[in-house]
Parts: sequence; C-alpha cells; structure tokens
Amino acid sequence: MAQTHSPGEIPLRYLPRSPRASLVSALLVLGGGAAFGFALFRDPQLAWRAYVVNWLYFTSVAAGALVLYSVWVITKARWCWPVRRIALAFAAFLPFSFLLFLPMLGLREDYFPWIEAMGHDPVVQRKAAYLNIPFLLTRNLVGLALLFGVFLYMAYRSLRPDLGLANSSGGAGQERGRRSWAERLTQNWGGQEHEEVSSHRRLATLAPVAVILYAVVMSVVAFDWAMSLEPHWFSTLFGGWFFMGAFWGGVAATAWTAVYVKRQDPDLGKLIGSQQLHDLGKLTFAFTVFWAYLFWSQYLVIWYGKLPWEQLWVVKRSEDPWALLSLMTILLCFVIPFAGLLGRKPKMTPWSLRLFTSVILVGLWLERYLMVVPSVHDGHPPITLLEPAVGLLFLGVFLASVRWFLTTFPVVQVWQPMVEGELLEAEGKGGSRRGAAV
Amino acid sequence: MATVTSEQERGALTHPDVQSFSQVNRDILKVLSRPGRGWWALFLAATAGMVVFFGAWGYLVARGMGVAGLNNPVGWGALITTFVFWVGIAHSGTLISAILFLFRAPWRQSIYRAAEAMTVFAVMTAGLFPLIHLGRVWHGYWLIPYPNERFLWPNFRSPLLWDVFAVTTYFTVSAVFFYLGTIPDVAAARDQAKGLRRKLYELVSLGWRGTDREWHHFGKAYVFLAAFATPLVLSVHSVVSWDFAMSIVPGWHATIFAPYFVAGAIFSGVAMVITLAVPMRKLFKLEAYLTVRHFDAMAKLLILTSLIVLYAYLTEFFMAWYSGEEVERSSFWNRVFGPYWWATWTMLVCNGLVPVLLWFRRVRRSIPALFVISIFINIGMWFERFVIIVTSLSHEYIPFAFGMYRPTWVEMAIVLGSFGWFFFWFLIFTRVLPPVAIAELKEVLPAPFRRGAEKEAAA
Repeated sequence: MAQTHSPGEIPLRYLPRSPRASLVSALLVLGGGAAFGFALFRDPQLAWRAYVVNWLYFTSVAAGALVLYSVWVITKARWCWPVRRIALAFAAFLPFSFLLFLPMLGLREDYFPWIEAMGHDPVVQRKAAYLNIPFLLTRNLVGLALLFGVFLYMAYRSLRPDLGLANSSGGAGQERGRRSWAERLTQNWGGQEHEEVSSHRRLATLAPVAVILYAVVMSVVAFDWAMSLEPHWFSTLFGGWFFMGAFWGGVAATAWTAVYVKRQDPDLGKLIGSQQLHDLGKLTFAFTVFWAYLFWSQYLVIWYGKLPWEQLWVVKRSEDPWALLSLMTILLCFVIPFAGLLGRKPKMTPWSLRLFTSVILVGLWLERYLMVVPSVHDGHPPITLLEPAVGLLFLGVFLASVRWFLTTFPVVQVWQPMVEGELLEAEGKGGSRRGAAV
Repeated sequence: MATVTSEQERGALTHPDVQSFSQVNRDILKVLSRPGRGWWALFLAATAGMVVFFGAWGYLVARGMGVAGLNNPVGWGALITTFVFWVGIAHSGTLISAILFLFRAPWRQSIYRAAEAMTVFAVMTAGLFPLIHLGRVWHGYWLIPYPNERFLWPNFRSPLLWDVFAVTTYFTVSAVFFYLGTIPDVAAARDQAKGLRRKLYELVSLGWRGTDREWHHFGKAYVFLAAFATPLVLSVHSVVSWDFAMSIVPGWHATIFAPYFVAGAIFSGVAMVITLAVPMRKLFKLEAYLTVRHFDAMAKLLILTSLIVLYAYLTEFFMAWYSGEEVERSSFWNRVFGPYWWATWTMLVCNGLVPVLLWFRRVRRSIPALFVISIFINIGMWFERFVIIVTSLSHEYIPFAFGMYRPTWVEMAIVLGSFGWFFFWFLIFTRVLPPVAIAELKEVLPAPFRRGAEKEAAA
C-alpha cells in the first residue's frame, strides 16, 4: 500500500511545447478534413455516419476521462495525484466537441431512419413523443451544454489555485500563452488560501453532480444517436453499456497519456512513477472485464430470449459483412487486453501499458462504429478507409487540445487541501497546504 | 500541519480513540468473554424466530405445497423473493472485504469482518429457500449433476442450474475468504483463552505464530482470494437475475437485469451491514472502532448504489414505454397502478426517495438516522424482488390467464423466521470470532513506542 510518490513538494511543471506535435495535429486535421470533404462529395450519407461515429467516440473518451477525474475527487483518492490532471486535460476537447456537434443537428432523414418510418409504421408512431426532431435537438443541446459546462467549470476550479501560484512565483516563466492564460483564469483573485478552500469545496460538490449528469446525458446520447437507428429495437442496458464503455475509454486514454507525459519530460517522468502506471493499468484491466461483462449481459439475454425484434440487432452484427468486425471488436476490447494486462509487469512497463491501452482505444472505436453503422447500412464493403480517415479530423483536434492543456497548465496539481480536508472542516479551520512552487 | 500521508497517520485519524495495540486486543477480545443481557435477549429472540422458521417449514413439508399461496400464473412467490433478498444481502460482505481491499479503501478495516460473516450466513439462509420451494426437499440433490445409472442430467441450459453453481461457488469462496482473514485474529484469541476454548482456537488458527514467513504467505493468499472473489460478486447476482431475464416474461426479460441486480444486491447488503453494525457497536462498546466516519463511508456507498438502482428503475419504465410493445407497456403500467401498486410504491419510496436523505452530511453522520434508513432500504429491497417476481407473473401474457397471489401465513412465517435463523448464526459468530479484524486494524494504528515514549505521546 506504500505510495511511491506522496504529494508533498511538487514543482510547477509543464509539458514542453513541441512544434512537431503541433505540425502532426495540423496535418491530421487537414487530412481528416479533406477526407470528410471528399466523402461528402462522394456519398454524403456515409460521410455523416462516419462523422457521427467519430464524434461519439472522441466525446466518449474525453467525457469518460473527466468522469475518472470526478471519481477521484469523490473518493478523495491520493494515489492518482501525479496523474490527476492528465485525466482533467481531456476537458480541453469538450468545447471543440460541442462545436463539432453543432453540424450534426442538421441531420434528418439521411441519418435517422425513424423519420421516414413515422409515416407508416405503427410501432414507431407510438414513440413519437420521444422520437421527434425538436425534442431530440433540445435534449441533446441542453444536456451536452450542461454536462460540458460542469466539467469545464470543474477544470477551471481545479486549475485556478495553481495558476495563482504560477502568477505569484513566476512559475509560468516567459511563455506568453501560459502567462496570459494564468492571468485570465485568476481574475478576482481572493488569496491563495481562500481560493484553495473554495476550489476544494466546489469540486467536492460538483463531482457527484457531474457523474449523475454524465450517466443521464450519455444514455440519452446513446439512445438518440445509436439505438434509435434501429427504430424497433430497444435494450435497457444500452445506455449503461455506452457510458461505461466511454468511462473505460477515458481510463485507457488517461493511462496512455500518462505514459506519453512520462516519456516527454524527465522531471514529470520522476513524478509519475511505476506505481501510478500499475494502478492505472489495474483500472484499465478491471474495466476491460467490466466491458465484457456488460457486453455479455446484453448478449446473453437477447440470445436466450430469441425475440424477433430484439435479436435483429445482434443477428445483423453477427452476419456478413459485419461478423468479422464484431469478432475483431471482441478481440481488441476484451481478449487481447485481458491477456495482456493480466500480469503485474505489463501494467507497470510503460511500453506495454501504452500498447494495450492503444489496442483498447482502437477496439472501442470499432465498438462505437458497430453501434451505429450496421443499423442503417447494408452495402458492401462494410467499412472503407473513409471512416477512419474522417476520424483523423477529430483525432487532430483531440490531440492538439489535450496537448495544449498540458503545455499551458501545470501537469501535476500542486495545491492540495484535499488531504484530510474533512479533518480540517471538522476542526473548523478550513486551511490548506501546498508544496513549494518552483 | 504537515501533510498527512502514511497509513499510520491516517489510521490515527480514523480511530482517534484507539491508543495502542494492546487496547485493540483488550477491547475486541472482551467481546468474546461473558455475554451481557442484551446479547442473551437478542439470542433468545433469534432462537424463537428459528423455531418458527423450522416449525413453518415442517408444516409446509407435512401438508404439501398447497399451504403456500402459489397458484397457476404466480408459481414463484414470497419464498423465491426471499431467496433473492438473502442472496442480495450476501453481496456487500464481499464487496467490502474484497473490492474495497483492492481499491485500498482503508475504512473497510473496522467493518469487513462482520460484513463477511454476514455474507456467509446470508448465503446459508438464501440457500435454504430454493429447497423449501421444492416442497419435497429430500429431492434437492437432483439439482447436482452426478453420474447415475439412468443417465439423467439436469438441464444445463437452465439458468436455475447456473444458479446452483453460482451460489455454491460463491458460498465456498466467501467462506474460505472469511476463514482465511480470521486466522491471525483467532490466534490472538487463542493466546488469551483457556481450557476447551483454547484448544478449539488452536485448531482453527492452524498454529499461527505470526512469523514473517507466515505473514508473507497470508498476504499473498489474501490478495489472491480478494481478486478471485471480486468477479464472483458480480457473477452470482447476475446469474440470479438471469433466472428471470432468460425468460420472455414481460417485466423479466430485460438486458439491464444483471448489473441492476448486482447494484441492488450491494445496496441491500450495505444497508444490512449498517442494520447489524449499529446494535453490535452499542452492545459490545465498539464505538472507538466503528466510528462515525465508517458509517459515513457506508452511507456514501448507499447513495451510489441507490442511484444505480434508481437509474435502472427509470430506464425500465422508459424502455417499456419506448418499446412501443403493448405487453411491455401494460406490464409496467400494471406495476405502478395495478393491484400491486402498494408494493411498487414501497419499493420506489424506500429505494429511491428515502436514500436522498443521505445526501445530507448530518444524516450520514447520525447513527440513529442511518439505522432507520437502513431498515427502510431492507424493506424496500425485499419489495423490489416481490414486485419483479409477483407482479410480472400475475400479469403475464393473455388477460384470461392473469391471476393474483397472496402469501399465506405459512410463507410469511418462513420468511420472517428466516431472520431468526440468520441472526442466530450471526449472534453466535460475535461470541466466537473477533467481530472486528484485530490484525488489520493494527496496520492503520500508530506503531507502539517503548514505554516511556508512549506515555509521552499520550501526554
């Protein structure tokens, strides 16, 4: 139970900026954008499906990582101290996710088959109170705005005390971006002590709210953008399966990024010890099993029940042309990471942790793809190069935003009133401690 | 104030009134000495309950299943409800002992022994109910697949058979895990006991001496079993849920059932731990060990699991509507507004609404309030199973075959009497095995100083 690194004297450290990484992101965005343009020109339906799949995937991973952060706040976890902010960094993608979501609001018959079915299908007509465009747009917009808003506010509250330290100690250095953001986010500064306590309190209040909102909003997203594409089909577990998968993706992405950060900077490499990697590996492993559990729980009930309208969804995915992709999903999401991360060594070794989390992240993409596309698309070939190519657009934005966060804000959280904050409250002191700002 | 980091310092925070290692031994082992009047009163009540239990069961066996209220559409009633209820109770023991151990949640130390004992006894109680429900209990061994001259095998595709395997595996693993954890503590009890008791403890503690080597192996075995028991927590109640979900009965056939049942099981189990821990703390003066912080942490677990359960209720209602299927819709409408509305509303209020109180810190830290809430949850969770089983069956396929079920006095006597049987074992446990883990508690306490330093520290 020993902790390799206790949060004590933590320096303000940033991920070094890298022109190469920016160039790669820019190229990805350009390439993905071009692919999307090309796809729009060739087959707009395919292009938009690919767009939605990628939006679902990247939003899942980012929101999942934020839930991981919220869970750490709720449970007052301390082992995660050096990697806390890495999970938080995914908040930087959320504004872009929201912007990228807006074009999806224009989708109608070409994406939602139930619009057409509403005209003649009595079963679908009975769902009209839920499946209608005005309500769909409202609940998605409001839900996502609320969820992302809470997450971003939490990120802001978590950063603020550290930025105050950066201001007062000149820790942000000469970087203009860092300094201006530090100043911008620390307006109406109320003193270090006060800020830490108020940030701690607000985070503690908001984290459970964020998790509850996440479960509700992501369920709605799953129902609307994936489940409703097969208008007769329904599964009570679908929402849970979707958001737990997203959470798992967030854990895997955090582990992946932790390894990346560890390699980028020797000082950060020392802070993020093999203990943290081990624990992140354990979490990734545990939720790999949990994903398989949820998948199986849904599959078994449908298989055993053999109800025509229910098994349709599964049968479609287990027949040509999707069978191979489904099999690959199971391999990538369960078999390979399960076998790979079972031992202790692979969890603690940076390269293998990175390898298996990469496998998971690819598998999860396929899983999201299979949630959407087979419902509405019967043609051959099942998957072209275009879908992943459109994904590059999202990947570029995703990587650039997360990297921007880690280069602009301290990678390891310095302020720490949460250590036995309860005790302080009980004693009526409400104080805070922090390490030296270097 | 310095940053609090080490486990020891944390322990000093979680147990401010425990000063030294020797005090732990003294306080906990005292529980095993002569019982007080309170214990005897509870024990007599439990024994009386057990007499009722076996009396009613005997009556059921003698007169046949006709004395139960079961009828044609409703073939599963209060007995199966109670089976699921007790299996559910069993879950939080392993959650607290194994999963929280793997998650390194230090507050489990004071509570996990009692929770594990509860698990074992709850499975022992639950296991009786399918046998009672058989009617001819002497045919119970037919459930076990064994080679026989007629080549008769149970149906391996039946979830009821999976249940036999799931529950027996769970019972075996949790009993072994429970036993393993007690070994160092039984050794501590042995060192203070005399006579026959000492002989018994010697036997049970397997000659534990507390050497480095022993601790090393103990630690390995403990982690291994914890990791092994963790998926079992999920599997058992998932399999129990599939007893229902595998069928196509509206109200039973739902994909969410497995995780929903698991969450519900942990919910009811944690509530039962609180129900047990409150009197235990009072009776044996364990206030210094089961502090408000422990109850606060358990209350937070209740919040989490009640939210998952609530999510499942709402999703089920929503999906029944969203399905557009007449039968699904009618089944769920019948739950809320049909003849069993009182059961459904009890479930919704006890499991969804009452736990909202736990969001308030003051409630979480008030032990009487928690005790009352935990009882509400226990009731609510029994009704949840009743609602799932009985309302779904009574309102199954065609209206011609609808029917009502009402438990008879025999069934109610068995259901209530089972609490006697459960408490009987639990009360014996508190007198035979240290109800709080002595060795693990010491891990979180400050290490002892030499005599002089200890006085200084105390001063």
